[in-house]
Amino acid sequence: MAILWLAAATVAGLVLRHEIDEVFDSALQEVAQRVLPLAYAEVLARDSDEPQRVPPVGPHREYITYVVRDAAGTVLLQSSDADRSAIPKDLTHGFATTATLRTYTEAAVQGTILVTTAEDLAHRGAAVRKAVLALLWPLAALVPVAVAGVWLAVWLTLRPVLEFSSGLEARGRGNLSAVSIEGLPDEILPLADAVNALIARLRSALEAERGFTANSAHELRTPIAAALAQTQRLVAELADEPRRERARAIEQSLRRLSRLSEKLLQLAKAEGGGLVSEHPAPLGPVLRLIVEELDRQFDCSERLDVAIPPDGGPALDLDPDAFAVLARNLVENAVRHGDPDGSVRIRLAADRFEVTNGGPAVPADRLSALTRPFERGPTRAAGSGLGLAIAAAICEGAGLTLDLASPVPGGSDGFRATVRFARATGSGRARS
Amino acid sequence: MRILLVEDDMVLGQAVRDQLVADGHSVDWTTRVASASDAVRAAIFDLVLLDLMLPDGRGLDFLKGRRVGGDVTPVVILTARDQISDRIAGLDAGADDYMVKPFDLKELSARVRAVGRRYSGNPNPLVTHGDLEIDLAGRTVRRGGKVVALTQREWALFEAFVERPNALLSKTQLEERLYSFDAEIESNTIEVYIARLRKKVGAETIETVRGMGYRLGSPGRRP
Repeated sequence: MAILWLAAATVAGLVLRHEIDEVFDSALQEVAQRVLPLAYAEVLARDSDEPQRVPPVGPHREYITYVVRDAAGTVLLQSSDADRSAIPKDLTHGFATTATLRTYTEAAVQGTILVTTAEDLAHRGAAVRKAVLALLWPLAALVPVAVAGVWLAVWLTLRPVLEFSSGLEARGRGNLSAVSIEGLPDEILPLADAVNALIARLRSALEAERGFTANSAHELRTPIAAALAQTQRLVAELADEPRRERARAIEQSLRRLSRLSEKLLQLAKAEGGGLVSEHPAPLGPVLRLIVEELDRQFDCSERLDVAIPPDGGPALDLDPDAFAVLARNLVENAVRHGDPDGSVRIRLAADRFEVTNGGPAVPADRLSALTRPFERGPTRAAGSGLGLAIAAAICEGAGLTLDLASPVPGGSDGFRATVRFARATGSGRARS
Repeated sequence: MRILLVEDDMVLGQAVRDQLVADGHSVDWTTRVASASDAVRAAIFDLVLLDLMLPDGRGLDFLKGRRVGGDVTPVVILTARDQISDRIAGLDAGADDYMVKPFDLKELSARVRAVGRRYSGNPNPLVTHGDLEIDLAGRTVRRGGKVVALTQREWALFEAFVERPNALLSKTQLEERLYSFDAEIESNTIEVYIARLRKKVGAETIETVRGMGYRLGSPGRRP
């Protein structure tokens, strides 16, 4: 762009120079032709042999000097500054250029009188330079303005496109709302509409899947609940002990089945995506409810050391149900497998959620295996072996990082699970 | 108490009804929102047990409708949906408590007792026993004016003694009180909890009757 401008300016400069030369040359010629009759009359009327100087009218710098000579080269008449220019002799009729001068010679009276007008080339150069400069500086000033203007115009046009594309990237993490097409150039609109249509289809597919998970959970839970309740009634109503024992055995099996199906449903949901909600909500109230439920279940209120920020904690775009499952599994894991008399420290902060429990350290080589389904640490407590796998799946699906540390940093034993809310870049793809 | 059970699963509903009847309540059982609406118009209930997913509508809408109409009858939600958002929605709609299926019938009994007591209008829910002040509605115990923190299960046991101050409670009866979905009741569980309770509310508050069980002891001396 700027190069084109410069080339155009160069061409303009060259044309200008040519034009200026022409103008100046015609001035030289004009002066010579004007001076000639005057000089002729002067020479005829004169009686001295001294060359005569035509005094200047006022003090000024002569740009054009002239000299009138006869055929022998004797100077008959010259302008006031003519000496300084040292106009060469033996010039033939017409234009000539010496190292410093541009001259024009006109002869008259059969070559007996020669008028030569001369102009200093330096003056001509200066004139051209000034003209070119006058041509260039507005250009130089205009080029940055023009470049800035073009850039601004392009940016304004492309901004909606960039916004659309970043909005699209953000949709990668399970947020499947339509992308705004406001201000998009008409050429891109059909593409944007097609993308939004695709997102809508994806969304309905995902919602159907979620609905299916919720319904299948419901369909599975109700018969288990019915069987368990009936069995418990049976235990209560049977009078003879051996049969009661048998009914109790069924009851225990049903509970195990219920726990396992619960965990498998959670794992399926965690791996199914849809862990990001479109409306960020504070996690504190959810965590409070989960702690209350776990206390009911394990009677562990005295072991739980909970700190939730008074403002309700960070508002994350993590789906509250997903966070509930995540928190429940991490705390349940600590309560079940940690030191039974030790406390479980639960911390919700702006950047992380942390659960720490006492108990023997988990060897480093076992630590990474704990997030695989049905892996169990050094514990004698009952459990499905799915809790940490579910937590890891939720973190991966929502683009969070889960760190397991044992022993607890700065200690010699214990176990700590940390969920960091700062999203790892480029992670958290919506998996379907 | 007079309880309205709204549950469309016949097998579960029957077991829940039998459990509540065995606890000494009178139970009306319906399987539809429409008949539940008729029932609450026809009679006054002390408690409603409400399933959220019913064939002819959402239990939540029924609950909201009741609350908007100014009905303050306690409601415990029974839901098969485990999402925390559903539970929060239920509590926001005016439910007093919720239980996620599958639930333990003993736990159901305990919750019904607790909710019922909260609304029983008992003019004197405060029981004084020696230097203990027991608030059955607020589920708190003060000893010499200081609050004693009891865990859920400790409270469940202690409540059994306070409710029937003269009764002799067998180990089996006490085990019934310790509902828990996950906990295995082991042979020494009751002994462990009695020991913990004595530490908190005074050793002489709970007496051991050798070979028979436990009962509330004579009031401790006031300090």
